[in-house]
Amino acid sequence: MFEDRYKSMYEQIVPDESLISKTIERINQQAGSKKSKAELYDTKLNGNEPYRTWLPKAKQSKGIRLFFKYATAAAVILVFTFAVMPAIAANVPVIYELMYMVSPSTAQFFMPVQKSCEDNGIRMEVVSTYIHEDTAEVYITLQDLTGNRVDETTDLYDSYSIHLPFDSSATCDLVGYDEKTRTATFLIRITQWGNRRIEGSKLTFSVGCFISGKRAYEDVPIKIDLSSVGKSPKTKETKIYGVSGPNVDKYLPIDKSIVDRTATVIVPSDTIYSPADGFDITGIGYVDGMLHIQFATADRSKNDSHGYFYLKDKDGNKILYDYSVGFVEYGEPGNEDTKIVYDEYIFDIPQDEISNYALYGSFYTSGLYTEGNWQVTFPLQSKDVEQ
Amino acid sequence: METQSQCTVADAEAIVKKYADMVYKLAFSQVHNKNDADDIFQEVFLRYFKNPQKFESEEHQKAWLIRVTINCSKKHWSSAWNRKTTALNESFTFSMPEENILDDALRKLSPKYRAVIHLFYYEGYAVEQISHILKVKQSTVRTQLTRARAQIGKMLKGEF
Repeated sequence: MFEDRYKSMYEQIVPDESLISKTIERINQQAGSKKSKAELYDTKLNGNEPYRTWLPKAKQSKGIRLFFKYATAAAVILVFTFAVMPAIAANVPVIYELMYMVSPSTAQFFMPVQKSCEDNGIRMEVVSTYIHEDTAEVYITLQDLTGNRVDETTDLYDSYSIHLPFDSSATCDLVGYDEKTRTATFLIRITQWGNRRIEGSKLTFSVGCFISGKRAYEDVPIKIDLSSVGKSPKTKETKIYGVSGPNVDKYLPIDKSIVDRTATVIVPSDTIYSPADGFDITGIGYVDGMLHIQFATADRSKNDSHGYFYLKDKDGNKILYDYSVGFVEYGEPGNEDTKIVYDEYIFDIPQDEISNYALYGSFYTSGLYTEGNWQVTFPLQSKDVEQ
Repeated sequence: METQSQCTVADAEAIVKKYADMVYKLAFSQVHNKNDADDIFQEVFLRYFKNPQKFESEEHQKAWLIRVTINCSKKHWSSAWNRKTTALNESFTFSMPEENILDDALRKLSPKYRAVIHLFYYEGYAVEQISHILKVKQSTVRTQLTRARAQIGKMLKGEF
């Protein structure tokens, strides 16, 4: 079986002890040679006895660090608010507080950018960047100027793109949300391959759409009596777009049927049961001695709807599906607006034992899909900071 | 749990030893040669301790390491591709002949397929988890997994 052979192969692949020791040594060298500015200030303060005497001994260094931390945060906010950016937007101090929370040791080194664009009532703004060696960190905000489409669940998923004149890898994470100004803040970390400095390059960040209003319906009991599930539902052989599950190899071995990407599924019916908004169970029954449960979601590309089923036995143990298949159907051939995505989950539980189990599901969806054309180009420049 | 990659000697040793196998195996699954896997291994842990990260949980920490390993591997894979040659002493010989055949087939897969195959079959992650770790849609992971399996199936026809 593929899985067993793969596991057996990789059990043999282990790092040499010498590699592990060498790596630990290099990390320690790196830590010794590169103290952050905050650490350097800490060292100075900790060696300055008069500052320490008024604190209880056990809390001295922590107290001074905290004092330094908040004093620096306040200074950073003041400098950016009154000196560096006189025309600053009302929400920017919030961003700098957030920056200090997310990257406490580097917040003071961020360079203000404040380039923005607006489309569909949404403003995207590049707030600041911090360039160090081969890495660029960029804070970007998304603000809804007209409504509530930007919230704390806002997700750019894979709709954003970063254009740079060199190869790089990047991550983009939501790091905060300010309800008052309806602003979501994202931190993008870009690392250039090849360990060259990236200062001086121009970066274009663009977003074509985002989703928000995410909802999670977890551990939802499905009120269907499994012991009365039909033995012979109407089935069909259909083209599938994917498979998953812990035992997919056992039931759908790599053979002609998978190469041709087809599987036997229940013919979708009208909604039998809706476990959550936007999720409809459209088929359930025993096919070749295995329990099949099918659900449908519409227009998944715009709401990232997904979910899965599991069983619970009488002791409350969770039993995951053995495998699942996905397929699509169109109300009108080729018309994307009429596309319905089906997922069918299959459990290898004999029908005479199914009364010992209860069916549950977890479902996730996004209520809002917002399209636009947001694009900002800005230079990657570092801020000169005195050592 | 909040884990922070602030470096101390003890931290470095504990973190590297804890995740050494996972990072190395994943790196090898991407580049399929020992020298590059060694380089990636070091680069991943150096990056981990270079920029302090805050992790909400152990799973978050693990996901970060997986993502960075895959990103570092892309660079090495690309470089190896451009060289178009791999020295014999960089290869790994598995104990069973079938495993070497499978290794050859895996080398021919696209790196993105190798990543999902490894996370699914070796690390035991479900599609939902892989989607979360790699920050791609579940349908993308499913499609990649299916295509990878289909390609391996074609390459090893009769062998399985």
